[in-house]
Amino acid sequence: MSFLTIEDLHLNLGEFFLQEVFLSLQKGDYLAVLGPTGAGKTILLESIIGFWKPNKGQIYLEGENITGLLPEKRRIGIVYQDYALLPHFTVFKNIAYGLEKKEKKKETLGKKVREMAAALQIDHLLHRKPTTLSGGEQQRVALARALIVEPRLLLMDEPLSALDPRTRRDARQLLRRLIQKQNTTVIHITHDLDDVWALANKVAIFKQGRLLQFGSMKEVFHRPQTRFVADFVGATIFEGRVVKAEEGISRINVDGFELVSLDHAETGENVKVAIRPENIVVFKSMPTDASAQNVIKARLQEIMSEGTTCLLYLKINDTVFHVFVANNAVERLNLKEGDIVYALIKACNVRIV
Amino acid sequence: MLIVFTFFITFLLLMAMGSIFVVASWEDIRQNIWSPEMRFSLRLSMITGLISTALVMFFALPIGYTLSRFDFWGKGFVKTITDMPVAFPELVLGLCLLLLFGNTFVGDFLNFVGLNFVFSQKGVVAAQFFTALPYAIRIMKSTFDYIDPRMEFISRSLGYSQFETFLNISLPMAKSGILASTVISFARCIGTFGTVLILAGGSYMKTEVLPITLYLNISYGNMGMALTSGIVLMVVSFLAIFVFEKAEVGF
Repeated sequence: MSFLTIEDLHLNLGEFFLQEVFLSLQKGDYLAVLGPTGAGKTILLESIIGFWKPNKGQIYLEGENITGLLPEKRRIGIVYQDYALLPHFTVFKNIAYGLEKKEKKKETLGKKVREMAAALQIDHLLHRKPTTLSGGEQQRVALARALIVEPRLLLMDEPLSALDPRTRRDARQLLRRLIQKQNTTVIHITHDLDDVWALANKVAIFKQGRLLQFGSMKEVFHRPQTRFVADFVGATIFEGRVVKAEEGISRINVDGFELVSLDHAETGENVKVAIRPENIVVFKSMPTDASAQNVIKARLQEIMSEGTTCLLYLKINDTVFHVFVANNAVERLNLKEGDIVYALIKACNVRIV
Repeated sequence: MLIVFTFFITFLLLMAMGSIFVVASWEDIRQNIWSPEMRFSLRLSMITGLISTALVMFFALPIGYTLSRFDFWGKGFVKTITDMPVAFPELVLGLCLLLLFGNTFVGDFLNFVGLNFVFSQKGVVAAQFFTALPYAIRIMKSTFDYIDPRMEFISRSLGYSQFETFLNISLPMAKSGILASTVISFARCIGTFGTVLILAGGSYMKTEVLPITLYLNISYGNMGMALTSGIVLMVVSFLAIFVFEKAEVGF
C-alpha cells in the first residue's frame, strides 16, 4: 500500500489550477517536483496540506482519506521559499511553536528545541529575532520548525532557491542527512537540478496544471515521455563506479560499459554521471577519429518524431538514454529502430555530479 | 511651487484651529471646564466613547478578518453595506437608526429586552457605534490584508486550530493596526454629533456629550462654554492622531 496517494485531483483557483493529478509515494520517498512558473506546483503542496479544498479527487495518507481533514489534524509540515518565520517570536519560540501544542513540560520542550537547533547548527541564534538572521540561518530555522513535530510528510516549496550557491550546497547536505536520519517522506519543489540529483529518488514534472510525467529518477531522466520533459530535465543521469582515476581522467564503469570523464573522482567511488542529450552525436558506423572521446555501441530502441527533431532512445545492456537529432539527419543516416549505432560523447561532456 | 501650495493650505488649517485658542480667554476656560454641565458632558463622552469603542473593536476585528481572508457568497454586498456609513451624512444615519429603533418590531423587541435606544444614553452608545464601526472595519481589513496568510497556514500545519491561530499569530501581528483602529474609533465616537443628536436627542445634562454641549451653548449664545468644549474635543483628536501616527511608525 502506498504511503501517499493522490487520486484524480482537480483544483481551480482561477490563475492557478490542477487537473487530473495522480501520484503515489512510498514511505521514505523523496519526490522532486519540477515545472515552469504557473504549473500549479505550490497549490499542489497547499492542497496536500489542506489549505485548499480540491474541486474533485481524493488524497490518502497512510491509507486514511485526508481530503476533508482539517489542516491541523494532518501532521504535514511545510517550508516556504521565504521561510515565513513569525516576526514577533524569537528563533527559539519559532522552533518551539509547533511542539508546545503537545509537549507541555518546559524542560523537555527546551531540550528538544536545543537538540534540533544543534543538529541544524543554529543553537547560538535561539534568542534572536528572525529578521536579524541571514537567509541561510532563516532557512534552517524554518526547517527546524517543520521537522521538530516529526511530520508524517514534509513539503518544501523551493526551500533553497533564495540562498547563495555555497550556502545552498551546505544546506542541501544538512537537509539530506536530517531527512535520512528521520526517514521523512518529502515533496520538494525546485528549479535546481542539483537538488534533484542530490536529494530525490522520484521526480514529477508539471506544466499548466497537469502532471506530465511521474516516476523514479531513472524512468524520468532516461525515458522522458515528451520533448518538454526531456528539455526540462536536461541531462541523463547514470550511476557508476570509478574503476580508475588517472591524472585528469576518471574511467567510470556504468552498467558494463566504460565512460571517460575529465572530472576528478577517487578510484572505487560510486558516482552519478550526467550527460546532456545535445552533447551526444550519433553515427551509423564506427567514427574514425575518436581520440579522447567516448564511443559507445548501442542499439537504437525507438525513434520518436517531435516536429523538426527526433528523440532517439539508445540502449546499452540495461541502460537507456536519449538523444536529440534533426529529422533530416535521421533520413540521411537511414536510421531504423533496431539498428546498431555509435554514440560519440566528448570526455569533457561527461560530468560527475 | 507645489510646496508653497501645500504650505498655504496647512497654514490656513492651522489658523482655523488656532483661532479657537485665540478667541477663548483663560478665564473662560477656567470657569467653564469645572462647571457641572461640562463635567457631566465630559464624563458622559468618556464613558460612552469607551464603551462604544470596545463594542466597535469587538465587532470590527472578526468582520475585518473575515472580509480580508475569506471569499464567500455576498461578500461584495457585505462590503458595500458596511462601508456605506463612511460616505453617509451622519444626520441621515441618525434618522435611519431612529426609525429602526422606533416603532418597528426591532425597536419593540429591543425595548422589551430593556434596550431603549431612542432619546437615551444607550442611544448615544448606539449612535457612536454605528458611526465608528465602518472606519474600524476598513482599518482592520487592510491590516489583515498585509499579513501573509502563509504565516497562518504554517501555524495550522503545526497543529493549531483556526481560532488558536487567530489568537497566536493574526492578532499579535495585527497589533499596531488594532491600536490605530481603536484610536480612530475612539476619536470618531467622541466627535460624533449628527447621529447622536437625531437618535439620542440633544437634551441638557441627559444625553449631552461634548459636541452636543458645543452645539447647545452656541445656540444660547454662551460662547465660553462652546469654546471650551471645542478645545477639549480638539485635544482629544490631537492625542488620537498622535497615537495613531506613533503606531504606524512602530509597525
